[in-house]
Amino acid sequence: MNLIGNLCSSLCSNLEGDAKNRGTQRTIDASIRFPLVSLFKAAVCWMLIATVFGLIASIKLHTPSFMEECQYMTYGKVEPIFWNTLIYGWLFNAGLGCAVFLLARLGGVPLKQGVSLTIMTVIWNLAVVIGVIGIMLGDQLPYEWLEFPSYTAPIFFVSFLGIGLWCAMAFRARVQRSTYASQWWILVALFSFAWIYSAAQIMLVCSPAQGAFQNLVSAWYAENVFGLLIAPLAFASIYYLIPKTLGISVVGYRYTGIAFWSWILFASVAGAAKMVNGPIPVWVASVGVIATFGLLLPTTTFSIQFLGSLLSRFSKIWDSASARFLFAGVVSFIAVMMFKIWGALRGSQEVVQFSIFDSGVNQLAMFGFAGMVFTGASYFILPRLLNKELPSSTLVDLQFGAHVLGLILLAIGLISGGIHQGELINGSTADMLTVVNTMRGSYFLTSMGLSLLLLGAIAYNVTFFWMLLSTRSEKEASTSLIEEAPELEYTAS
Amino acid sequence: MNRGPFIFLGVFIILSLTWALVINKPIQESGHLSPIFDAEQGGRLPMNAKGGAAQGKLVYQEFGCIACHTQQVRVSSGFDLQRGWGERQSVARDYIDQTPALIGNTRLGPDLSNVGQRRSDREWHLLHFYNPQITSKGSNMPSMPFLFETREIVGEPTNRALKLSAEYAVADGYEVIPSRKAEALVAYMKSLKVTYDLKEAPKSKDVMLEELTAALENAK
Ligand code: HEC
Repeated sequence: MNLIGNLCSSLCSNLEGDAKNRGTQRTIDASIRFPLVSLFKAAVCWMLIATVFGLIASIKLHTPSFMEECQYMTYGKVEPIFWNTLIYGWLFNAGLGCAVFLLARLGGVPLKQGVSLTIMTVIWNLAVVIGVIGIMLGDQLPYEWLEFPSYTAPIFFVSFLGIGLWCAMAFRARVQRSTYASQWWILVALFSFAWIYSAAQIMLVCSPAQGAFQNLVSAWYAENVFGLLIAPLAFASIYYLIPKTLGISVVGYRYTGIAFWSWILFASVAGAAKMVNGPIPVWVASVGVIATFGLLLPTTTFSIQFLGSLLSRFSKIWDSASARFLFAGVVSFIAVMMFKIWGALRGSQEVVQFSIFDSGVNQLAMFGFAGMVFTGASYFILPRLLNKELPSSTLVDLQFGAHVLGLILLAIGLISGGIHQGELINGSTADMLTVVNTMRGSYFLTSMGLSLLLLGAIAYNVTFFWMLLSTRSEKEASTSLIEEAPELEYTAS
Repeated sequence: MNRGPFIFLGVFIILSLTWALVINKPIQESGHLSPIFDAEQGGRLPMNAKGGAAQGKLVYQEFGCIACHTQQVRVSSGFDLQRGWGERQSVARDYIDQTPALIGNTRLGPDLSNVGQRRSDREWHLLHFYNPQITSKGSNMPSMPFLFETREIVGEPTNRALKLSAEYAVADGYEVIPSRKAEALVAYMKSLKVTYDLKEAPKSKDVMLEELTAALENAK
């Protein structure tokens, strides 16, 4: 096989069928093909790596002798590596890939300077690699989702600044002057991340807040990584993919503004709820708890919009790979928000505080919500980008099945396991060794869940690289495979 | 709603206001605490950590112990006091010397704010770090054999060597010596104790009652 040649032809924009069939869209796609392929390539690799680390961490909880001799792989290092590669490796690259595609398509113009975007994202990914090695060597910071050593921060910051500016320029270059919800969410994600990342670095590393308040800043940051970076990128993809894959406009689209502003307002405060019973002033945690309840408003709006749209075309969901992943993502999102809101209630706090419940909800949010949505989006984007069909629907089915089942096991293991653990630790004086022993089953279930997620990740990788490296068939080279519905490219008023 | 600058401005305003409310305001109001001097309780409160302990704190960070251990005691919920993890609520002043503060938010193992008080035996900690199964059979805390050196006994066995039972013993003629990192970590563990009182967090009634009775007993 001529892999290199195929790779080049995947990336090269000269397709005979192009000009005739999908003129503008083809030039748009061609303008972002190079950066997008490199973003998705990074994303699928990090997905695999993150899942492997997650699995190792989980195995270590029920079988602590697993890899115990290796000082670079002790639980306290593997766990942060798992979270950081999951977020800054997989989800950031995948989410950014979707965002760039949406900015280009919704803006209606080919984008310039694809190469500089690629360079910036390569630098970003190098920073992730350095961060992982740094944690292994023992330079980690003790802040949730900011464990990457402090020397990686400037690299992340500079490359993100480049990425953000590139996207802002791409947004400005649009020919469609009025904007669609997806674009707002992308702007929010980019702007907020620059804000929360620099605020957190300044208040934790450069001139740290006093003792106990570092914990507040860290909790605020971690919640915002979900609420203001990952979730907005996923919302952007959902608002775009619903009309595209189902052929309808989003149900109740005019309520988008309410959901948008209320989400930003409440999500940016919700992190403080973690401070309940902690060593900082009580009112801070109370504000956070109220904000978490406030999230009920946008969550309800999203649920009506997304589920309403998906259920109204339910039979179509199973025809399209993208729509299926989207549906799983939306269901996970609703579950995550319910758990988050339930978890902020006084009574449930008393049970689940400090247990693995939070980790379970976060894993469901990352793997289940964001991960499934971005995967669905990539199954929409990649065939268009490369003008190749998905190589094997069996692999896609396998990935979908493995992911859904894996998520269910993960949720049972960590979320219901976490409630049980909390009952034992916060509600009794049961000996710690008894607790560890009781939890072994839950940890085991989690490992099974993560093994299934790993299987899914492998299937995804195979699909991706197969597609990238395969020869274009006669049909693929000469025609446009994809029947676009141009009237849906732009559904907002 | 259709214009980029409008969205930017709106998001900017919301984010700055919420940041000012939940981050900046509490820090301005109560994030600049100073130590208290109390001659009766031995001078400066909180007490400063000693050199070896500071080294050990770095080892604690390096190996990510925070993934499983918190260092905060709650009284208004949970069983922290009953478990003997502390005698009073942890408050902001307890942490003013700590940068970074290793407060943590996950408890797969016990809270360590006062571990130095309940476990002051160096040998126990070393055995526990070498292999938790020796001291706590069934624990899932990671073992850290890499903090120890297994070496041939030259002449007399060193008295710093671990006293391993037959089950965990190394080959004949060899001994297990704790590295400097292991010793520092033990020093840090032993330094973790909150023995002083602060006005803002009096010890709970039960603890005070106990102390009072003990004092009365002594007086008799
Ligand atoms: C995988 C989670 C995990 C990690 C990581 C972990 N521990 Fe533990 N730790 C436990 C569990 C569970 C126990 C209770 C059982 C036991 O004594 O081993 C414990 C107990 C302890 C105890 C005894 C506390 C007591 O009250 O008896 C100390 C001290 C301790 N750990 C220190 C550390 C240090 C130092 C590190 C970092 C090098 C660390 N732990 C990392 C899970 C963990």
